[in-house]
Amino acid sequence: MGMSETVPAARPGEIRQPDQDYFQALSTEVNDKGFLVTSTEELFQWARTGSLWWMTFGLACCAVEMIHVNMPRYDMERFGAAPRASPRQSDVMIVAGTLCNKMAPALRKVYDQMSSPKYVISMGSCANGGGYYHYSYSVVRGCDRVVPVDIYIPGCPPTAEALLYGVMQLQRKIRRSGTIER
Amino acid sequence: MATVLHSAPKFTPAEDVKDAIVASLGAVLLEAKIVHEELVLTVKRESIEDVIRTLRDEHEYQQLMEMAGVDYPQRLERFEVVYMLLSVTKNHRLLVKVSTDENTPVPTVTNLFPCAGWLEREVFDMYGVLFQGNTDLRRILTDYGFEGHPFRKDFPLSGYQEVRYSEEEKRVVYEPVTLAQDFRSFDFMSPWEGAEYVLPGDEKADAPKSDAPKTTEKPSDTGAGKATDAKAAEKKSHAAPAQTDKGKDASGAPDATEDRPGKAPREGDTTDTKSATEVDKDKSGS
Amino acid sequence: MSFTVEESPTTVGDEAITNYTINFGPQHPAAHGVLRLVMELDGEIIERIDPHVGLLHRGTEKLIEYKTYLQALPYFDRLDYCSPLCMEHSYVLAVEKMLNVEVPLRAQYLRVLFAELTRISNHMLNIGSHVMDVGAMTPNLWLFEIREDCLNFFERASGARMHSAWFRPGGVHQDVPLKLLTDIGDWLDTRLPELFNDAMSLVVDNRIFKQRNVDIAIVSKEDALAWGFSGPMIRGAGIPWDIRKSQPYDVYDRMDFEIPVGTNGDCYDRMMVRVEEVRQSAKIMKQCLAEMPEGPVHTSDRKVSPPLRGEMKQSMEALIHHFKLYTEGFHVPAGETYVATESPKGEFGVYLVSDGSNKPYRCKIRPTAFSHLQAMEFMSKGHMLPDATAILGAMDIVFGECDR
Repeated sequence: MGMSETVPAARPGEIRQPDQDYFQALSTEVNDKGFLVTSTEELFQWARTGSLWWMTFGLACCAVEMIHVNMPRYDMERFGAAPRASPRQSDVMIVAGTLCNKMAPALRKVYDQMSSPKYVISMGSCANGGGYYHYSYSVVRGCDRVVPVDIYIPGCPPTAEALLYGVMQLQRKIRRSGTIER
Repeated sequence: MATVLHSAPKFTPAEDVKDAIVASLGAVLLEAKIVHEELVLTVKRESIEDVIRTLRDEHEYQQLMEMAGVDYPQRLERFEVVYMLLSVTKNHRLLVKVSTDENTPVPTVTNLFPCAGWLEREVFDMYGVLFQGNTDLRRILTDYGFEGHPFRKDFPLSGYQEVRYSEEEKRVVYEPVTLAQDFRSFDFMSPWEGAEYVLPGDEKADAPKSDAPKTTEKPSDTGAGKATDAKAAEKKSHAAPAQTDKGKDASGAPDATEDRPGKAPREGDTTDTKSATEVDKDKSGS
Repeated sequence: MSFTVEESPTTVGDEAITNYTINFGPQHPAAHGVLRLVMELDGEIIERIDPHVGLLHRGTEKLIEYKTYLQALPYFDRLDYCSPLCMEHSYVLAVEKMLNVEVPLRAQYLRVLFAELTRISNHMLNIGSHVMDVGAMTPNLWLFEIREDCLNFFERASGARMHSAWFRPGGVHQDVPLKLLTDIGDWLDTRLPELFNDAMSLVVDNRIFKQRNVDIAIVSKEDALAWGFSGPMIRGAGIPWDIRKSQPYDVYDRMDFEIPVGTNGDCYDRMMVRVEEVRQSAKIMKQCLAEMPEGPVHTSDRKVSPPLRGEMKQSMEALIHHFKLYTEGFHVPAGETYVATESPKGEFGVYLVSDGSNKPYRCKIRPTAFSHLQAMEFMSKGHMLPDATAILGAMDIVFGECDR
């Protein structure tokens, strides 16, 4: 890792597996010994990042992009992030859209019902800070007034790629700062 | 009427239907005008139910598409309720208006159109217009427990309350609105068109003209302060400062680089430092 | 979902069976957003429904009163976020009607072309989610592939995938490249029919799908009129009413298309009306592509639409026009108008009142979902609880528009 060796770029049409040596070493170890040794912390982080089940909290326009990221073209389930309809089963809540005063208690209730460790992604400028509706009498100026937010995704609405990137940033955050306790 | 240039939806011309409707409504009709090729009727508030029934049963306006409230605070009866009717057989749209104030209820039309229920609830919610006979006149769009009627012109854009989750109380609480930055509202009026705001210095335009001309007779009348008064009291003024410009550049300035292409590199004080110019072979290529 | 028992029997062994009330939403995957239905159930039979809307009430109409006409335009994208351009269509036509400006023919064709593309993408979302609500997963995956294509076309025309703000008073914002038009043409000939017909072959004759939809929530013609239905809801009830046909705007009067009509007035008919509308939309788009003339894409009235960038660099007057247009905006003569167009969900109207300034005095938006959702109680009374999702799915409700 410390030495920087030049990594040849993939030629057009060539399929390259990421870090093939690493995986080969891993599979040899498993085949030889039959087990792997790691720290529990790493194990927990691996489990958490690999199955980020998200709560579908579609509020407004961003909900459409949230569906799009889950559909075949972007296919977020590649990253282990699958939509769940029940807060009890989900790890991350994507607040997608304008949060209005009337909806705020319901949003908090859903957040409270989620089991720990739980994360929140605020998607789109309305959820980030009110956005285009900031000065309205009925809009919460940022969903962080109601729930603690881990990742903010800008955009109105953020494209499906942006949301995908946001989920990957959340995975990075969990890897970096994750503890067993959270 | 000017020629129609736009490409908005075209339907049966209002002139075709106007006379028949005006004749059948009679005295309850206050005004019938054609605005933008649309027929707009203003009727008496008490008889709105009869008017809508007549239009539905005798003039084939089968659908009540929409009800809108409008607020004109300067009028005596400040609210206007507009009913948009549609005839799918005659292919025509019609606007019917009544006006009211905060306390006078408008007769409901829920007996004629079941869809009027929510439309009246919305006008009530947004403007506080009461509808007599509507049995379910609850708020519809605003928050549970909302106070005030937000679309009135005197209701502030950002309202009075905002929500926040309180860690102490473990629930969502309502608090008075505090904005980090106020809403910026520009009126775009130029001073020539009668802008209402006052800019610094504008008060001079309206200041009363005094008859006595303003003069400065004594040095102390200038109001400039003691030092200036003393200076002004001097009888003889000093001469202007001496001119130093002799028509050529001050010495010491080098020639512009472009002017001396053939000149040898600079000598003397300037030296190149090794670290600045030479490539460090140990560090390069890392 | 949480439910509360209203009354419990006072004594053990009491035979009294009471209705109970459940909350459907406000967070429910089949509610298509933030709908809260308070349902009173007798066993599994729906006795009473009280829809609570307004959970996405953002005060759009109030905000519009504080913005200039051009700044207010993007709010319309965000109303019905499944069919953004059709929302803009009503608004720009209302503004143009009050200004009485002429829109160049190419702009009218472009608007119709993209309005129909929006209709396709809206119906893809609605058909897909309706089908998913009654239990099928695969068609939705295919239909969203079509939607992705539509969004890519929007992005190529306007730069934004969803909220384009591309229709402007006086025309459209920018011209489209020729390659985009040819690509849309190819897509209409190959990819759209392939994907759509494949997906529909799984649904329309499917036994389970029919069991869930046929004879559910039958609406008669009289009821459809009285409840203020429009769009596929009124056509599903058997009334051939389409504003594109009867009150044509832009170049719809030059288009040759047909209006599908339901025979039974149930959820299945409403769904099939949408399926056929997709094919008719494709037909309209092909005609647009074939007939579209060359020319300017917005009006030459510089008080309404901005000058070209190149012109601005040459002419002082153009620069002034540009500056005035994007700071002060244009002034609309005092008056009022109600303009309604056929959005994918039904009649979407804008009642615009101007006081002669550069901001709307009042802008009342007529949402399609409002009157449809109001009929929810009358439509689902006597049906089973699972039918509520089918009825909601066939209504095609989007809350950005319903609650504004």
